[in-house]
Amino acid sequence: MAEAVTNEGIVAKVKAFLATIPHNKITLRDLLNYPKTPVNNFIALLTVLFLAFFVIGVGNYLIHGHEAYGVTREHPWGLLIAVYIFFVVSSTGLCIVGSLGDVFGFKDYEVISKRAIFGSIVTILSGFAVIAFEIGHPIRMMIWNVLTPGLRSAIWWMGTLYGLYLTFMIIEFVFLLKHDMRRAKIFGLIGLLVGLAAHSNLGGVFGFLNTRLISQGVFYPTYFILTAFITGIYLAFIMMGFRYRLKFPDNIRKMLVGLAKIQGLLLAILMFFETWKMMTAIYGGVPGRSDVAEHILTTWPFWAEVLLGMLIPFLIILKSKGQNVTGMFWGSLIGMVGIFFMRYDLVHDTQLKPLQMMKVREYQLPPEWVHYAPSATEIMISLGGLGICILLYYIGTKLFNLDADTEH
Amino acid sequence: MARYGMALDYKNCINCKACEVACKEENGVLLGADKHRIWVGVNEIEGVWPNLSISSSSFLPSQCQQCDNAPCEEVCPTHATYYDENGVVRVDSDKCILCSYCMNACPYDARYVDDRTVTVDKCTFCSDTRLARGLTTTACQNTCPTKVRTFGDLDDPESEISILLKTRDHFSLKANLGTEPKLFYLT
Repeated sequence: MAEAVTNEGIVAKVKAFLATIPHNKITLRDLLNYPKTPVNNFIALLTVLFLAFFVIGVGNYLIHGHEAYGVTREHPWGLLIAVYIFFVVSSTGLCIVGSLGDVFGFKDYEVISKRAIFGSIVTILSGFAVIAFEIGHPIRMMIWNVLTPGLRSAIWWMGTLYGLYLTFMIIEFVFLLKHDMRRAKIFGLIGLLVGLAAHSNLGGVFGFLNTRLISQGVFYPTYFILTAFITGIYLAFIMMGFRYRLKFPDNIRKMLVGLAKIQGLLLAILMFFETWKMMTAIYGGVPGRSDVAEHILTTWPFWAEVLLGMLIPFLIILKSKGQNVTGMFWGSLIGMVGIFFMRYDLVHDTQLKPLQMMKVREYQLPPEWVHYAPSATEIMISLGGLGICILLYYIGTKLFNLDADTEH
Repeated sequence: MARYGMALDYKNCINCKACEVACKEENGVLLGADKHRIWVGVNEIEGVWPNLSISSSSFLPSQCQQCDNAPCEEVCPTHATYYDENGVVRVDSDKCILCSYCMNACPYDARYVDDRTVTVDKCTFCSDTRLARGLTTTACQNTCPTKVRTFGDLDDPESEISILLKTRDHFSLKANLGTEPKLFYLT
């Protein structure tokens, strides 16, 4: 009886606390009540379609397991891993952008903090929704990750730290909503540090693969942080572009011009890093590294990554010295397509070189490059992840005030 | 407790694939192109007829190298991959979450997905079959018609494998990676 009373007390306290979080009361009718412009209708239709894809894809996976995917013994990581990375990189990036104002105190960027932190929550949740159907036994993972943790495994650190990161992001967001800036700053800083640690560990998952020379080493753990920041800025432009329908008030324009200039610098650094990565990989003709790098240069996804993810947005910024924020909205949409290819390439290129170079079956040629094509199920779950992300973000815009508070 | 290893007099291999069949039979490995614990790699004859390089044609039997410093064990987030009391790298299928990190980390492509347990599996030196029944041979070794394989305790100086490794030159695959394999190829 006493326990029941205590439990009731806790429930009451939680309810009381939740009631103090500023939010709008919404119904399904509110969600369906949006300006019926062609663009809005198109996005709404696309979101519903993607969510339907998710249901079909997951259903197919639950029936057929990994047989429904294009992954093989030689290429065990496929599109869903790339999409998971795409979402968690987006999350870390938005966390960095959101921290500029609230944690580091750059006043111009406070106008995006709440929106960016909320974006970081929905993107990581979308990533988790996708990875749940790539990991063969997600429930078992939660049990044995705790009972027998593999502390030398980058996947263990990455997963655990991302779990903590999500918790801190939610706490920071709540304090931002309550306009408790001091606590938001504390949890924002902790969340940012944990997020950066988690994210570099994700790079470490690839960097620790001693047998995959094209990925092994320090490059990915650091590159992941750089590309996260770049992704965060692209998403900041996209979110603000939709929020203000490309008619930006002065304070938002000022913030976006600042972000565009930072983006220009970051893209220049990224292109510099990539160039040296490819040159050092090719130089000397080391088998397993040089041949893979040369092969990558002949694949179209690599050039999609370079053109869409780096060059086009960089040229847009360069041409207007960062002033063309509307151009950068479109540049950011293009950039995000490039970022997707960046993640896909990262996963696929790591597994390009067969580890067993002799033929093992009759009527088979010796292995050359490992081929992989995503299955329809993988594509549907991936698009479903995007649908979940858009839906959660849209609900968030209705449920919370994601604009900067007027006192700012 | 032993520290099991295997020496392969690989130049004696005739690629009859009896070892693959015996392994599948003994360990209940499912059929399928990507479901194999052991395999024989083939180097085709090089050159254009009649100038063929007979010596270029060779067979290289391979499997899990039972590394002392196994990358697959190191990357496993749940300790599903572990060393048993005989130094054999094993997978606890109850703990395996099928993240496939081990499949990517293994330099020898020695792991595959067992569709019955939906977890990663690999060669276990017949630990849960023949060794568990008290036998001291593996299925692949027992069936080999040209006696390519010698299986035994590396810690026992009197064992056949220890004597072979003392008296014959040998090499390990991808030794530069520091994985310290317990499969030795006799030259």
